[in-house]
Amino acid sequence: MTSYFIRRLLLIIPTFIGVTILVFTLTRLVPGGPIERMLSEAALAGADETATTSYDSQGGSTLSDAQLEDLKAYYGFDKPVVVSYFEWLGKVLVLDLGRSTRYSDPVWNTITDRLPVSIFYGVWALILTYGVCIPLGIYKAIRHKTAFDNLTSALVFAGYAIPNYVVALLLLTIFSANLEWFPLGGFVSDDFDELSGFEKIGDVSIHAVLPLIAYTLGGFAFYTILMKNSLMDNLAAEYVRTAVAKGMDFRRAIFGHAFRNSLIPIATGFGNNISLILTGSFLIETIFNIDGIGLLGFESLVERDYPVVMGILVVSSILFLIGNILSDICVALVDPRVKFGSGDAGQ
Amino acid sequence: MILDRLRQSFALNPLTVKQWRRFRSIKRGYYSAVVLGAMIVLSCGAELLVNGRALIVYYEGELYFPTYGDIIPGSAFGLDYEYETNYRDLDAEFEEQDGDNWVLMPPVRYGPLENNLTPGYFPPYSPSFETGHYLGTDETGRDVLARLVYGFRIAFAFASLLLLCNYLIGIAIGSAMGFWGGVFDLAFQRLIEIWNMVPTLYVIMIVASIVIPNFWTLAAVMVALGWTAMTWNMRTSTYKEKTREYVLAARALGASNQRMIGSHVIPNTISVIVSFIPFSIATGIFLLTALDYLGFGLPPPTPSWGEMLSQGQKHIVTAPWIILSVAIAISIVLVMVNYIGEAVREAFDPKKFAYYQ
Repeated sequence: MTSYFIRRLLLIIPTFIGVTILVFTLTRLVPGGPIERMLSEAALAGADETATTSYDSQGGSTLSDAQLEDLKAYYGFDKPVVVSYFEWLGKVLVLDLGRSTRYSDPVWNTITDRLPVSIFYGVWALILTYGVCIPLGIYKAIRHKTAFDNLTSALVFAGYAIPNYVVALLLLTIFSANLEWFPLGGFVSDDFDELSGFEKIGDVSIHAVLPLIAYTLGGFAFYTILMKNSLMDNLAAEYVRTAVAKGMDFRRAIFGHAFRNSLIPIATGFGNNISLILTGSFLIETIFNIDGIGLLGFESLVERDYPVVMGILVVSSILFLIGNILSDICVALVDPRVKFGSGDAGQ
Repeated sequence: MILDRLRQSFALNPLTVKQWRRFRSIKRGYYSAVVLGAMIVLSCGAELLVNGRALIVYYEGELYFPTYGDIIPGSAFGLDYEYETNYRDLDAEFEEQDGDNWVLMPPVRYGPLENNLTPGYFPPYSPSFETGHYLGTDETGRDVLARLVYGFRIAFAFASLLLLCNYLIGIAIGSAMGFWGGVFDLAFQRLIEIWNMVPTLYVIMIVASIVIPNFWTLAAVMVALGWTAMTWNMRTSTYKEKTREYVLAARALGASNQRMIGSHVIPNTISVIVSFIPFSIATGIFLLTALDYLGFGLPPPTPSWGEMLSQGQKHIVTAPWIILSVAIAISIVLVMVNYIGEAVREAFDPKKFAYYQ
């Protein structure tokens, strides 16, 4: 088992290098980088003003010379590409992601400051999704082709089809702006610090209701249908037929045999939730003005705070890779057939 | 005799007929397809239904058809200006004159780019049958319904273009990966794995800050980032098909690689390709709308659903009709697209279960 995980961990390295090269290439696109210099020279030569006007029209403030110098020093624009890549990689490995041009704090601290909010929403969304989908999927599998099955299918597919930010905006219009049942956004109220402990919980909860619905609605379809289909596959399998033929009652056949096997496909996606938890959906965070990592990334991009943007990219890519490994571990735990060391990784 | 021959040559593959029957039997998907198909056809002729220009003008014994073609200056109809005729005013004036002249307007009398301001009142104006703004106007006095219709057409055209390009690339590279395997396959696998990490929206925002995005640049960036999904699917299904006996038989008969891929493997993976189409369309619409919402999409004043969403959010309390109209429109369209996708998948790959209770 250990050798399997060690081998799996080693496979991260080539992908990690690929991802960092990619992020590093993106840094060449930041203001003052070689690409933009090339473009502006071309624009000057052709007396074409579109490049410069579009620049301002996107609402970003242009960087001061001092900030540009900082960027240049951090990304090593003055050095050959290969040298500056390895220097930058060395800094990333010790979590030195540069300094935010907006807050002038280290990027790593800026990101970790927003973590609690993102984790709060991520974990609750996770609990809700699995809490609803697994029972619903089981029930739908048993009641296949009934009115209940058709109705819930239509509902979860509708939830899946409507983009989550449209759901968020609709909820906000109906329940916050018109009915005024819920606040218009934010993580907590302005007078949060003056509230008592119990009121604080209430305050956070009432702010969380609409964003959580928007977060989770789209995910219901995927896991519910996955659960339903895999349970039905297993129910039609020979071993369940054998169990029923031998006189086991249907309930026990489901929960004792088919259920555990049908969790395998659900488990394969479990680890990827870690990156969802942390990065969230920046559209939803933007709409509800929730101060999580998603909003941080979006604001940084608009305000041209590139060290933060690149920092978030690096962190989320690493999380994605870790998530893949976690998924493999989950599968190995649920499915004893996964042969450790047989090297099916990389697929 | 001849009729029989004709029917034979047009006869569909019995499998296709069966799949079509199965698709029709799934009511949710079938009716969605009918409605959406009608919407697409109607939106192609949107100029005839939703337009500030009149359909027909009868003036001094002559008929004019201003819908398509160059603008007709007001002076052509005896008005005292040289810019484009305002047909709604012309209609009112002809009514007043009570002569033989008449104007036939489209059902919705406003174009998507016209600012219609009522002196003394500030837009957005609320929905009203009197003014003909059936869904109200936005903050600059443009008709919401007109922008919805034209926005739908642009979003759908955009998604279809994305689909076409992504599928061409995906089918070409994917079937090559699956068919040849080996180093070629491995190299592309790693490339796709890394490529998938690129956050699409981020890259587009970075591109948008360098050049002004238009319909074609946006599509190019999205294809550059989006070709991987179809490639991966095609790789898997080619991989499966390659080992089947009929491919082996073709190889034994001395078929070339191109022939084996082109006339044997790809036709047999068509069900996979077709069942992904609706979901790709939905993704295309989703991406374009999200970008427009954030302000990194098509340049103004292009009618776009995303731009209307962000405007609607600004006026969420004072003018809820903007956001409600566009959010409901997006929801309905995307739900229908997904119902179609679900039905197509079911038609191509019916899951029949038998279990014993």
